[in-house]
Amino acid sequence: MLSPRWRKVARDLWLHKSRTVLVVSAICIGIIGAGSVLDAWSLLRRVTRGEFDASNPASAVIRTDSVDDALLARIRAMPAIASAGGRRTVTARVQTADGWQTAWLMASDDFTRNDIGVIKPDHGAWPPRDGELVVEHSSVDFAGIAVGDALPIQVGDAPPLTLTVSGIARDVGLAPGWMEHVVYIFVTPATLARLGSPSSMNEIQLLVRDRTSNRTAVQRVASDVRTLVEGTGRRVRDVNVPVPGRHIHAAQIESLLLTQGAFGLLTLLLSGILVVNLISAMLTGQVREIGVMKAMGARADQIAAMYLVLALVLGIIASVISIPVAAVLGRMYAEFSAGILNFDIAGFRIPVWSFALQLAVGAVLPVIAAAIPVARGCRISVSDALRDFGITNRGDQATRWPLPGFAALPRPLLLSLRNAFRRRQRMVLTLATLSAGGAVYLGAINLRSAVRGSVDLAFASQRYDVLLRLSHPYSPDSLLAATAGVAGVARAEAWSGARATVSASSGPVGNSFAIAAPPLASKMLVVPIDSGRSLMAGPANELVVNHRLLADNPELVFGKEVSLIIGGKIARWTIVGVADAGPLPMAFTSRETLERVTGQSGATSVVIAANTTGPAAQLDLVRRLRMSFADHEVEVSSSQLMSEQRKVIEDHLLMVAGFLGDMSLLMIVVGGLGLASTMSLAVLERTREIGVLRAIGAPHSAIIAMVQVEGLVIAVLSWALAIPLSLPMSVALGNAFGRVMLALPVRLLPEPSGVLLWLGVVIVLSIVACAWPAIRATRITTAAALAYE
Amino acid sequence: MPNPLIVLRDVSKTFPGATGPFNALTGVNLSIDQGEFVVVVGQSGSGKSTLLALLAGIDRPTHGEVVVGGTAVHSLSERQMSSWRGKAVGIVFQFFQLLPTLTAIENVMLPMDFSRAWPAGERRPRALALMGRLGVADQADKLPATLSGGQQQRVAVARALANEPAVLLADEPTGNLDSRTASSMLELLAGLVREGQTVVMVTHDESARRFATRTVTLADGQVVASDEFAHA
Repeated sequence: MLSPRWRKVARDLWLHKSRTVLVVSAICIGIIGAGSVLDAWSLLRRVTRGEFDASNPASAVIRTDSVDDALLARIRAMPAIASAGGRRTVTARVQTADGWQTAWLMASDDFTRNDIGVIKPDHGAWPPRDGELVVEHSSVDFAGIAVGDALPIQVGDAPPLTLTVSGIARDVGLAPGWMEHVVYIFVTPATLARLGSPSSMNEIQLLVRDRTSNRTAVQRVASDVRTLVEGTGRRVRDVNVPVPGRHIHAAQIESLLLTQGAFGLLTLLLSGILVVNLISAMLTGQVREIGVMKAMGARADQIAAMYLVLALVLGIIASVISIPVAAVLGRMYAEFSAGILNFDIAGFRIPVWSFALQLAVGAVLPVIAAAIPVARGCRISVSDALRDFGITNRGDQATRWPLPGFAALPRPLLLSLRNAFRRRQRMVLTLATLSAGGAVYLGAINLRSAVRGSVDLAFASQRYDVLLRLSHPYSPDSLLAATAGVAGVARAEAWSGARATVSASSGPVGNSFAIAAPPLASKMLVVPIDSGRSLMAGPANELVVNHRLLADNPELVFGKEVSLIIGGKIARWTIVGVADAGPLPMAFTSRETLERVTGQSGATSVVIAANTTGPAAQLDLVRRLRMSFADHEVEVSSSQLMSEQRKVIEDHLLMVAGFLGDMSLLMIVVGGLGLASTMSLAVLERTREIGVLRAIGAPHSAIIAMVQVEGLVIAVLSWALAIPLSLPMSVALGNAFGRVMLALPVRLLPEPSGVLLWLGVVIVLSIVACAWPAIRATRITTAAALAYE
Repeated sequence: MPNPLIVLRDVSKTFPGATGPFNALTGVNLSIDQGEFVVVVGQSGSGKSTLLALLAGIDRPTHGEVVVGGTAVHSLSERQMSSWRGKAVGIVFQFFQLLPTLTAIENVMLPMDFSRAWPAGERRPRALALMGRLGVADQADKLPATLSGGQQQRVAVARALANEPAVLLADEPTGNLDSRTASSMLELLAGLVREGQTVVMVTHDESARRFATRTVTLADGQVVASDEFAHA
């Protein structure tokens, strides 16, 4: 049987239900915020590590002219190679319910081998049979494709063929089709041939024997393979060595989890502040009881133990409620994040340690939060405790605020203003909670705006609407002739391009990267130079690089010369400028320079500035351009609307900013709870004062207004505080986000509308949070209030 | 002659105030023997409650010595004072000060719970016996809010006696009771004194004098009279 003091603890919990509910809610929100992120993080780690490693992702990919069984056999015989396979990826168009979409047709020399980048059948047939399509899982919903559908497919200018979807399969190594706006399709080489595409493999996928190798070691193995391939007389177009064990979107998901985790912890911390606030208030209400218990011989540690156990019980109750909710939300979030990575979390469980950690934190947090107010409350002397009359007005300067200049304000308003400052410590804690929520809210809005600004900047340099990639190089003049007279074309340029790899004394270094080569006098690509200068005519091989390329390749240094391998030829280049141009690694030179270096003339793409707007009109323009090019015997391999490319990039970048916004909402809820608790306690403590006000004739409306105005004062102060707080928050978020996603800090663009929006949010929040305390205040009868002890 | 149970030697107590220090007690000397029923009277602000607080060990003298049952209370640490208070004195307040979330009997058991002077299994029967002695055993499982003022004060006295204290200190115990209930409360305290209990009571109630063995009158923080009576 419980002893009386523990029964007192239990009954205090039960009798002060609204306060108990507030404390439990505050802890619940903290645990749900932090716990769901922890659950998602632990689940994703299991899934991504387990599944991605189990898929045997390619250690390196080498693109060359053609691959045959003899070459693959020689590569497989190399001691450092565990396996090698041939692939060909062809860009095509596929007609879905939404019209023509970009498709990647992926053929393998042997799908049954399937030991590198393992493709798992989802449902329907696997592997693809000749004349049939197997669609990658991440493209299915986005393109609205189902097994049994008949899809028209066109490669280049070959006539479209209608083929049947016979199955769905999952390749966890691919960036999801829905995000890339690409339909991935697995086909046999024979199907490629039927579609008019070359059917031989042109891509070698390598799996190194030592799976613990770092990137440099894999690059060395890939370089040996490259030498072997080149030794057979083939030309190596590029070599790509990804970071071993790291998914293509790992940076995004890590950034996402890291920021979410940080805000989850912040939410937990803020809910801890709320607990401090509430337990302080609880002790304030029990000062006399503490005095009485001390008077009958209770020691401070005995009383402290009672209140700390009470906090522990609250923590355990909150944990029991919130851990399952966090698990559900965490699983949903993990499912979504896994979807981004193209993983499936089915069959994976949240590890037990995650629940144990949440229970430990949930139970201990309120005890830690309560420790200071409990220690302070229990230190009070018996005489002080027995003399306690609740809230007192010490009549100091702060409680006389606002000063005489404000004396003209109506008395009830003055009372509200002064009341707001009576419990200053509590007000500071409430302000801190609300302001932190506001700073994150504004930070998320600013980040969103900054990301849009960065994307705007990247696309501002690209003054064209349509990009057409060609199957072969063509004379620039003939290409421009093909665009002349096509309705909707305002301007056109023929560009060249290549892929390059840095050459060091030890051989090729790092991954290959794209070089865009518009004409020197291009009006349709105006790269914004951050350092150095633009390209100039002359005999030197000049290169402008973007920040991402510099970040990825330490061998590239602004102002220095570097050797690059392009089309198998090594040449010296000088980096004359650094540009702020997009999130992907990229370099720029002039078409003329590239022709001189490679010795190959001709353009491989055409960019078009349209005088029509809207995706439908521009798609129509693409159709007319393709027809004109076909008439001029120019084979188009793929086409792209820049508006679509922009959407792809924005989808990638804004996803994280969107999640931050969601997280800030959680923090705002904690802030609202803080305000609600502060005002509830204020009403409780001033029961007698409210009774006096009613005794001297204050109507319901005046009491409600007094509580609401007091809440509004705190809310508006928090709004004002959140604005300066949001600036460092935005800079920190921009830096963290930019470095992970863009390789450069995102420019801070304060969003004035966000500041006004936050003001609206805090006003509504304050009105809602103060509604119940205000109603409670009106329910206090004069007699009961005046008798209140 | 036995040693006195309570001895105050040259006790002064000064409180800081907005307009300068305030002397609540000045050079008080007082001895109280075992079994006395001492009623402390005086005007408001005369120092009665301060005197009681010093005897209860809930406040410390600015100067002088307070010895209760041979213990120099003024020299104890906070922790020692709590333990001593739990066993040596029982306190009855004007507003009863029963903990509202505990039933009457739980309130009586609470001091035993803190002091652990009684084994857990004996606490409830002992509390019930005390309540029976004070005529409120039938109210044992009720919450304080459901009891009358007189019943609450009897429960408070039972609680004060829970650990068999040497001294029962009562601060205006009749101040919140009607005259009939107040008279009954005074009779109850007098009965305890007849059983050997020492009681020190602060009151404004003039009728209390007739139950006291001694009346100590305070004025401006000083003992101005000490009148002994034969009854109680």
